[in-house]
Amino acid sequence: MDYSMRFFKKNNIIIALTILLLLVIGNVLTLSGEGKIIITDIVVGKKNNLYHLSFNQEVKWDYLIREAIDKGIPLAFKITLKVVKLNDIFPAKTIKKEVRHYQIEYKALRKIYRIYDINEQKYEYKNMDEAIQKMLKIEKFEFSFVDDEINYELWLNVSLERKKLPKPLQVNFFNQTWNMSSGKSIHKIGNLN
Amino acid sequence: MKYIITIVAFIGIALLILLAKAISNSELISGDSFRILLGLNILFICSLIGLIAVQIFRLLQSVKKEITGSRLTLRLVLSFALMGIVPVLIVYLVSVNFLTKSIESWFDVKVESALEGGLTLGQKTIDILMSDIELKGKSIAYSIGNSDPQQRDSLLTDLRAKFGIQDAVIFDQDSIIIGVSSEKNDLIPPIPSIDDLERGAQGFFGRIEEVKDDQIYLKTFTPIIPKSAMSKRLILQLTQPIPPSISNLALSVESVYDEYQQLTYSRNSLKIIYILTLTLVLLLALLSSVAASFVISRRFSSPLAMLADATKQISKGNYKKIIPEQGKDEIGVLIRSFNSMTSQLGEATRNSEQDRKGLEVARTFLETILAHLTTGVIVLDDKKIIRLNNISASIMLINTKIILKNKPMKDVVATNLIFKPIYDFVEAYINNIKINKKEVSQEFKLNQDKQEKTIMLQITPLIDNKGKSYVLVMDDISEVTQSQRHSAWGEVARRLAHEIKNPLTPIQLSAERIQHKFKDKLSKEDSHILERSTNTIVNQVNALKIMVNEFAEYARPPKIQKDKIRIDNLVEEVIDLYEIDKIISVKKDKNIPIIYADQNKLRQVIVNLLENSQDALKKIKNPKIKISIKKKVNEVKLIVEDNGSGIPDEIIGRIFEPYVTSKKTGTGLGLAVVHKIIEEHEGKIKIDRIKKSGTRITITLRAGEI
Repeated sequence: MDYSMRFFKKNNIIIALTILLLLVIGNVLTLSGEGKIIITDIVVGKKNNLYHLSFNQEVKWDYLIREAIDKGIPLAFKITLKVVKLNDIFPAKTIKKEVRHYQIEYKALRKIYRIYDINEQKYEYKNMDEAIQKMLKIEKFEFSFVDDEINYELWLNVSLERKKLPKPLQVNFFNQTWNMSSGKSIHKIGNLN
Repeated sequence: MKYIITIVAFIGIALLILLAKAISNSELISGDSFRILLGLNILFICSLIGLIAVQIFRLLQSVKKEITGSRLTLRLVLSFALMGIVPVLIVYLVSVNFLTKSIESWFDVKVESALEGGLTLGQKTIDILMSDIELKGKSIAYSIGNSDPQQRDSLLTDLRAKFGIQDAVIFDQDSIIIGVSSEKNDLIPPIPSIDDLERGAQGFFGRIEEVKDDQIYLKTFTPIIPKSAMSKRLILQLTQPIPPSISNLALSVESVYDEYQQLTYSRNSLKIIYILTLTLVLLLALLSSVAASFVISRRFSSPLAMLADATKQISKGNYKKIIPEQGKDEIGVLIRSFNSMTSQLGEATRNSEQDRKGLEVARTFLETILAHLTTGVIVLDDKKIIRLNNISASIMLINTKIILKNKPMKDVVATNLIFKPIYDFVEAYINNIKINKKEVSQEFKLNQDKQEKTIMLQITPLIDNKGKSYVLVMDDISEVTQSQRHSAWGEVARRLAHEIKNPLTPIQLSAERIQHKFKDKLSKEDSHILERSTNTIVNQVNALKIMVNEFAEYARPPKIQKDKIRIDNLVEEVIDLYEIDKIISVKKDKNIPIIYADQNKLRQVIVNLLENSQDALKKIKNPKIKISIKKKVNEVKLIVEDNGSGIPDEIIGRIFEPYVTSKKTGTGLGLAVVHKIIEEHEGKIKIDRIKKSGTRITITLRAGEI
C-alpha cells in the first residue's frame, strides 16, 4: 500500500498524462458519427401475423460521399431492427433481431446508379439523386415474432457499413466522413391486432 | 525492470505483427478487432513511453542523489539511444518519402487517361451495338405493324432470325405476350415492368442489363404502330447479348476503372494508414531501442558502478565488500582481480590491525605500568620539552596528577625550585651529549618542606624516527636510605649491646663484692666512701643495662606474632594504666575492624607514643592528648595528638632515627622503636607539627587478615 502510494505520488504527472492520452485515443477510436442519418416517417403495420415496416431517411451527405459514389465506391448501409420487451427491473429483452442491407453503386460502363433494396431488388437510375431517393425510402421490411399482446418497442439503427468500403477508407479512423449512423431510433409498436 | 522491458518489447512486436496481418485481412480490418488492435498498439506505445519516462525520471533522480554509476548509465543510455534513434529516424523519413511518392506514382495521368479511354471505347462499342439493335428493332416493328396479325408470329421469327437477334417478344400495354421468338425454343420470357412497357409504347428505349455469368445483354423496347388506328399499340422487346469477347473486355475495363477510381479516391487514406503503420513501427523501434538502451546501459554500468561503490567502501575501510563475478569478459577479469586485491588488502589490513592492537595493548600495558610506578618517568626531547611522563613524575615534580606533556621541563621545574639541581644536571647532560652516549645516573639530596629527600636520577638517551629523546627515571629513595640508615643503626646497637652487656654483670658483681669484703675493714669514713663509690658503680651499671636493653630491643631481629586484635580495645587498655587519663580523650568510629598484629608490640607503640606526649606536656598549661581511631577502606588509622612543645624543625625529618630526640633525658630510641614496629607490621607512620604547638602522629595499619 505504502509502495503504491509512493509510486503514485512520485509519478503523478506521468499518470495524468497517460490517462489524458488514453482518453484522446479512446475518443478518436470510438467516434460513431451518430445523427448523420435521421429516420423519419416510421410506419409499422401488421397483416397475417406479419409485420410491415416502412420508413424514410434523411441523410446529411458529405460532398466526399457523393464523389465517392461517382468514383465507383459502393456504399452499403445496414439496418438493424430489434424488437424488445421492456422490463422495469431488468434490461430490455430482445425478442427479435433482423438485419437488412441496402446499397448504392455506380456503374461507369453504363453510367448508371444501381440500387439494391433491403429485399435485394435491383434498381438502376441515370440520376444520382433519384437513385438516392429510392434507396433511402425503405418499404416492405417484413418481420415476425411471437406476439403475446404486450406492447413492444422497435429499436432501429441504420449505419454505413465501413467494412464494405475499400480497405484504406476502412482503416482511416480519423476521417469522420465514413462514420454515418442514425443511432438508436425507438418506436413503440403498440397493439396492432 | 529489465524483465518488464523485455516483456513489453515482446508484446509490442506481437501487436505489430497482428496489426500488419490485420491490414492485409479485410475481415479483420473492417471489424472492431482491428480498431481494438490499433488501440492496443497505441496503448502499448504509450505504456512504453510511460515506462521510459519513469526510467528517465529515476535515472535523473539517481544522478541528482549522486548514486554511484548513475552518471555512467545516463551517458550510456544517451549514447545507445542516439545510436538507435538517428538511423531509425533516417530510415523512417526515407521510407515515408518513398512511400508517399510510390503511392502518388500509382496514379499516373496516362494510366487514368488510358483507363478512361478504354471505358469510353467500351461504352461507344455498346452504343454502336445499341444503335444497331435500335435499327433492327425499328425495322422489325415496322414490318410487324404493317403485317397481317395472322402472320405476325412467323414474320417475327423470320425477322429475328434474319437480323440475328436472340430473343424477340411482343407485349401489349397490359404486359400480355402477343408473340415470341427465340433462338432457344424453350424460352419463357420474363415480363418487363409496366414502366418499361409504358416507356417503350411512347418511343424506342434501350438499356444494358447484366445477368449472371457476367454476360451483358442489350434490351430494347420499340413501339409497334399498327396499320389500323383501332388496333392496340404493341411493344417489341428485343434481347441481344453482347458478344462475350466485347462484354468481357468492357466489364474488365469497367472493373479496373472502378478499382482505379477507388484507389485514386482513397489514396490519402492509403497514405495515412501506411504512414500510421510505419510510425507505429518507428515508435516501437525507437522506444524499444531506448528501453533496451536502459537495460544494456545498466548491464554495462552495473559492474562498473559496483566497482566504484566497492572502491568507496574500501576507502572507508570496508574490505569485506566482494563483487559478484560477472562472466568471462574483461569486466569479469577486472572484477575477479578487484576481489582478489580487496581480499589481499583486507588480509593486510587485518594483520596491520592486529599489529596495531598489539601495539595498543603494549602501549596500554606500558602506560599502566608507568601509571602505577612509584618511580617518576619523563621523556624529554632534545629541546627539553616533556613528551611523556607518568603520574608519579607529576606528583614528584609539582605534587599534582596533571600530565605535563608538551611543556618545557624548565617551566615545570620553575614551580618547584628544589628540583633545579636535577634540571641543571639534565640540561648539562643534553647539551653535552655525544652520539651513543651511555646512560648516566646521579643521586640528589633535596630539602623539601625541611625534610630531606633523596632522588636517584637516571638518564637514558633514545634515538628514534622523530629525533633524539631522553628518558629520565627519578626514584625517591629517601625511604630506602632511611631504611638503610635504620639497618645500620640496628647493627651498631646490636654490636654495642652485645659488647657492653657482657662485662656489665661482672662489673656490678665485682663492685658489690668489693663493698661486701672491705666495708667492715675500712674506717667509717673510708667505708662510707667505698659504699658510695660501689653504689655509684652498681647504679651506673644498671643504667647502662637499661640503655643496652633498649638498644637490644631496637636491634632485635624482626620477630612478631600476629593475632586478631581490636586496636580500640588495646588503646583503652593502655590508657587505663596511666593516671593521666583525665587529659586523654579518645574518639573512635563505630565498628572498627579487626587487625592482625602483635599485641605486645602494638602496646609498646602506644605506650611509647603516650610517654612521648606526656614528656612533651610537662610545663604545659591545660595539657591534652587526643587519640582518634578511624575506620578507612581496608585500613585503620590511629592518630595521637598533643598540644605539647612539639618537635623542632631541625630534627623532625630524622625523628625516627635512633638518638634523635628533643628531650634532655631521653635515649632517642622511643620513636625509632615505634617506627621499626610499624614497619614490621607493613604499616605507615607519619609525624606532623600542629601549627601553634603540638605534634600529631598518624599510624596506618591494614585491616583484616594479612
